Amino acid sequence: MKKTSRREFVAAGAGAIALSAAIFKSTQGWLTTVGQYAGYGVERTLHEPMTPPAGAEIDPVSHALNRLTFGPGPGDHARVSAMGVKAFIEEQLAPDAIGDSLCDRATARFGDLWNEPLGEQYDAEPEALPPILRQVTLLRAIYSERQLFEVMCEFWSDHFNIDPTKGDCRWTKPTDDAQVIRTHALGSFREMLRASALSPAMLWYLDGRANVKRKPEEKPNENYARELMELHTLGVHGGYTQQDVMEVARCLTGWTIRARKDDGYAGTLLSPLTDHAAVFFRPDAHDNGAKRVLGHEIPAGLGEKDLDRVIEIVTSHPSTAHFVAHKLCARFIADEPPQSAVDAVASAFSTSKGEIRTMLRALFALPEFAASRGAKFKRPFHFVVSALRATNASTTADRPVFTYLERMGHMPFRWPTPDGYPAAAAHWRATLLWRWNFALALANDRIGGTSIRRAQLQARIGSDTGLMATLLGRQPRAEESDAWLKIGDGLALLLASPAFQRC
Amino acid sequence: MIAETHISENRDDKRTLVVVFLRGAADGLTLVAPLGDDNYHRFRPRLAVKRDDAVKLDGFFGLHANLRALEPAWKDGDLCIVHGAGGESDTRSHFEAQELMEHGGPNSGGWLGRFLRARNPSPNPLSAVALAPTLPEMLSGAPAAAAFESFDDFALGGFSGGKRLPPAFSLHLRRLYELETDALRDAARDTFDALARIGAIDSHAVPDNGASYDERDSFAHGLRQVAQLIKADVGLDAASVDLGGWDSHFTQKTLIEPLMLRLSRGLAAFRQDLGARMATTTVVVMTEFGRRVAENSAFGTDHGRGSAMFVLGGGVKGGRVLSQMSDLAISKWPGLTPELLDGPGDLPVWNNYRDILAPVLTRHGANADALGKIFPDFSLKPLPLFA
Repeated sequence: MKKTSRREFVAAGAGAIALSAAIFKSTQGWLTTVGQYAGYGVERTLHEPMTPPAGAEIDPVSHALNRLTFGPGPGDHARVSAMGVKAFIEEQLAPDAIGDSLCDRATARFGDLWNEPLGEQYDAEPEALPPILRQVTLLRAIYSERQLFEVMCEFWSDHFNIDPTKGDCRWTKPTDDAQVIRTHALGSFREMLRASALSPAMLWYLDGRANVKRKPEEKPNENYARELMELHTLGVHGGYTQQDVMEVARCLTGWTIRARKDDGYAGTLLSPLTDHAAVFFRPDAHDNGAKRVLGHEIPAGLGEKDLDRVIEIVTSHPSTAHFVAHKLCARFIADEPPQSAVDAVASAFSTSKGEIRTMLRALFALPEFAASRGAKFKRPFHFVVSALRATNASTTADRPVFTYLERMGHMPFRWPTPDGYPAAAAHWRATLLWRWNFALALANDRIGGTSIRRAQLQARIGSDTGLMATLLGRQPRAEESDAWLKIGDGLALLLASPAFQRC
Repeated sequence: MIAETHISENRDDKRTLVVVFLRGAADGLTLVAPLGDDNYHRFRPRLAVKRDDAVKLDGFFGLHANLRALEPAWKDGDLCIVHGAGGESDTRSHFEAQELMEHGGPNSGGWLGRFLRARNPSPNPLSAVALAPTLPEMLSGAPAAAAFESFDDFALGGFSGGKRLPPAFSLHLRRLYELETDALRDAARDTFDALARIGAIDSHAVPDNGASYDERDSFAHGLRQVAQLIKADVGLDAASVDLGGWDSHFTQKTLIEPLMLRLSRGLAAFRQDLGARMATTTVVVMTEFGRRVAENSAFGTDHGRGSAMFVLGGGVKGGRVLSQMSDLAISKWPGLTPELLDGPGDLPVWNNYRDILAPVLTRHGANADALGKIFPDFSLKPLPLFA
């Protein structure tokens, strides 16, 4: 396939967005549309056997699929049953070894944008890149076979949240996604934190670029230093003080980025056209005195090495192990996870020095994980993707799908504050109506650019009950199959049902 | 587990805040003219509101005649006007200024979203609405906020082609949720409750108290729907309605005179329609910045700084135009002398929009701690807008 040049791509991408927006406008009221998208969407190939789950309750296979992926598709239960849950977890923990040609095909029209030189992203129109990032993210969540990796990318995107509407983040967030989140999602927490600290988008979003001390009377900007400890590492009650915030801010003074206009922070623009957003250290803007962070002395004169000391100190702090472990357990076990589980994962963090794979392996082996089957409320993004996967939908992931996510308040990369989208169910329960309407629209083929092959799906799976079990991860209960039969076609009903809101 | 609440239970306080954003930078000096300032007439030889045409307010200020529909609210003491209102940034870019104002400064996320999160972190499905195709930035980060242009969207099968809604779908869906025993069942009940309340609204019903909305005006239609939601007790905490088109560089009168009519008639109808319910409702009218004091050669005005904001509703200490304040108590219009003007000749910003919003949010349940989070990195000096 011809590699699309960046310029062609940005133009085409923007065009496609304008086109889909125009189509969307013209089709409100659902007078059309699927045909206009035909040929663009991809669909997972269904492999035999497609034996549906046979258990009356969610079995360990369905449980693993519910939590490690954005939801099982037809045939996934049979595949994981055959290989065993343990092997599936190991497979998912090594995403590089998983072929992903379908996902590559689904996202091919967006080219290789993220790996172009960062400065060149600035050629794009201000509103062009974030929607493309959203679309690629949704396509990957639906079609990638590296499901756990995509789940973890979502997790870290919340943990290191950046709202692209702030300043230059509209150009720099896509690179943050590639080089911070996706590079380290299953790697080392410590490395990810360091990459995030030096990410142009993060330097913009939390004002690190403006954290300079050029004159004795200049005060450091504490925004990033505070969030580094409050949200990224120790947690709000993790034992740091205001003094620690100020000291960390001093350590990080001088790390800045080349801005489009020199607003005083970036110093001289060496090459304004190609050096946009290049991260560099300004010794003249660094506070090179001695510091004391969380009880550790940092001697004067370390210059840019202060950063490494700070990363070392905060990631070695027991509160960080606990905070990250709690968050992982809240994602994979329950909103309020058992203390025993958090302690076990925190211990895996400490012994492995923050290896994410080690923590996840420990977490998935916990009895508390096994005991939490079917009890978590899906966030809207998870719900939408799981419905598309369960029905083996073909979708271009264009504007019409995002309209539902927008209504549910869960557009990827649209959360404004650095704490990321909330994990707990309480925040999301008011979204039921739009879930139900999404279920109705999907089952009735009324989402532009998205279609399901209902008859083929049922024929391949074999029976109503089989299709129901595929959606639910277990055999339907009497009242579920009763409702299905009474309605005639209960696909929408089952996608809207309480069981499908959970995982 | 924290107890969940229902619409039916948590409406001990039925206050609703309505934010009307005049997009495009409305000319405060035409909306609320300093008639008694001779310099005003000198700067605006062709565009100044003439003394004889204006709706006299207090012997000095006058409303543009097209805002006459607001006169009863003024006379009843329900309308307070703040002049020289705006933000601290001198960007004069619509996009940047709107974003800054909706975010409450160079923050990400909207001030109204932060307010709603502080007020009710686990809200019902209709606690915040925007009568718009998409959510405005001020609502970003709200725990539940629905954008729709018409009630028809807020229906089971609405928005997605309800015509194919299988019969009995709703019945069976409800049954399945009733079998649940936790907060999910309660959330479903809330949702069906909201649907029932919205469904019971006859969108063609005659407004109350003889109020009349212009059928063809989308702004009036938006306000009408907000009034219907308030009267139906759906649990509405906040609503956003926009009125755009105020960017009057060229032939200002032809651009904004119709807008002023829509604004005032829509608000007047809303107030009349709500009647006694206005006691628990506050309407704030704001714009991203004002316009240059001197008119330009194209019968228009260019981007400026200070404009006017309106606060209308129950408890408002109205019948006043606040301009340059001393000690938050005494207001004085200093006169538009050239040395007073800001930058290229703009009305200065005497009153930061946050100091106008803060007392409004206090009335709607935000305490000092919440205000600090809603407007971070800003030293609030709330104006005395409420009695």
